[in-house]
Amino acid sequence: MLNYSALETKPQTTEEELVARAQKGDRQAMSRLVIDYRSRIYHLGLRLTGNEQDAEDMLQEAFLIMVKKIHQFKGNSSFYTWLYRIAVNIGLRKLESKPRKYQHVSIDDPDIEYISSVETAEWPTFDYSRVSQKHFRKKLNQLIEKLPDIYRTVFILRDLHELSTEDTGKILQITPSNTKIRLMRARNFLKEELEKLVDKEALI
Amino acid sequence: MKNSAELYKQICEYLGCDLNSEPCKQIQDHLAECPNCEVYVNKVKKTVNLYKTIDNCDDIPEDVCKKLFISLNIDDVSKPGKEPAM
Repeated sequence: MLNYSALETKPQTTEEELVARAQKGDRQAMSRLVIDYRSRIYHLGLRLTGNEQDAEDMLQEAFLIMVKKIHQFKGNSSFYTWLYRIAVNIGLRKLESKPRKYQHVSIDDPDIEYISSVETAEWPTFDYSRVSQKHFRKKLNQLIEKLPDIYRTVFILRDLHELSTEDTGKILQITPSNTKIRLMRARNFLKEELEKLVDKEALI
Repeated sequence: MKNSAELYKQICEYLGCDLNSEPCKQIQDHLAECPNCEVYVNKVKKTVNLYKTIDNCDDIPEDVCKKLFISLNIDDVSKPGKEPAM
């Protein structure tokens, strides 16, 4: 695996300048934009589609569209919002074309009254040496894959890619309020499922 | 539970926001006096942090990168010798 975290654009070149140059056909600027976003788009694909081949296909398709259509980017949103929207749409289309690995699960709001009346035990700090084992990572990944797409996409963008509520809403074309509701339900679902895993697998 | 409908709405709102932000005073007061709700919120935070920990977005397989640049028909300027002099 390559680690590209240190490979950012030259500090004196802003993203706006790179986009402007790429729009004029500057292939070096295009290459730098690809370098800046390739890892994030690949991991977005992995989380969205759940498999490496689809993630790779999504990566290639998203950047092919970027190269082809960057001259149409008007700057009404940030560049990454524009690129993420392209990638998410490709990923969701891929999901629609395949049978789901897991049945849709019921996603509920947290029952605060129940929570406040039932004694629950705090989790100690996770044993990350165990959590990082392939066996557990697979189980944790399966929990995300059980989430219906509309919740999973919000969780991935907000919590894993750390995008804002506003940008996530723009990418998914939903309101900030809907973004928050979906995130709250996704977090609650994963917490509830993790609770079962913690009990079953002695994860802590 | 005091003002349960309003508090429910506020806690849900908090659970849909940035969990590192300061929750509003009313939620803070409730969490301070309701250990169960505090445990719940802490577990949600730990769940999110666990997923962040296992999801390292900085890595990408080298062959995937190579194929990407070939499909785009552009040079990878992060590779030595690929960046033209400015």
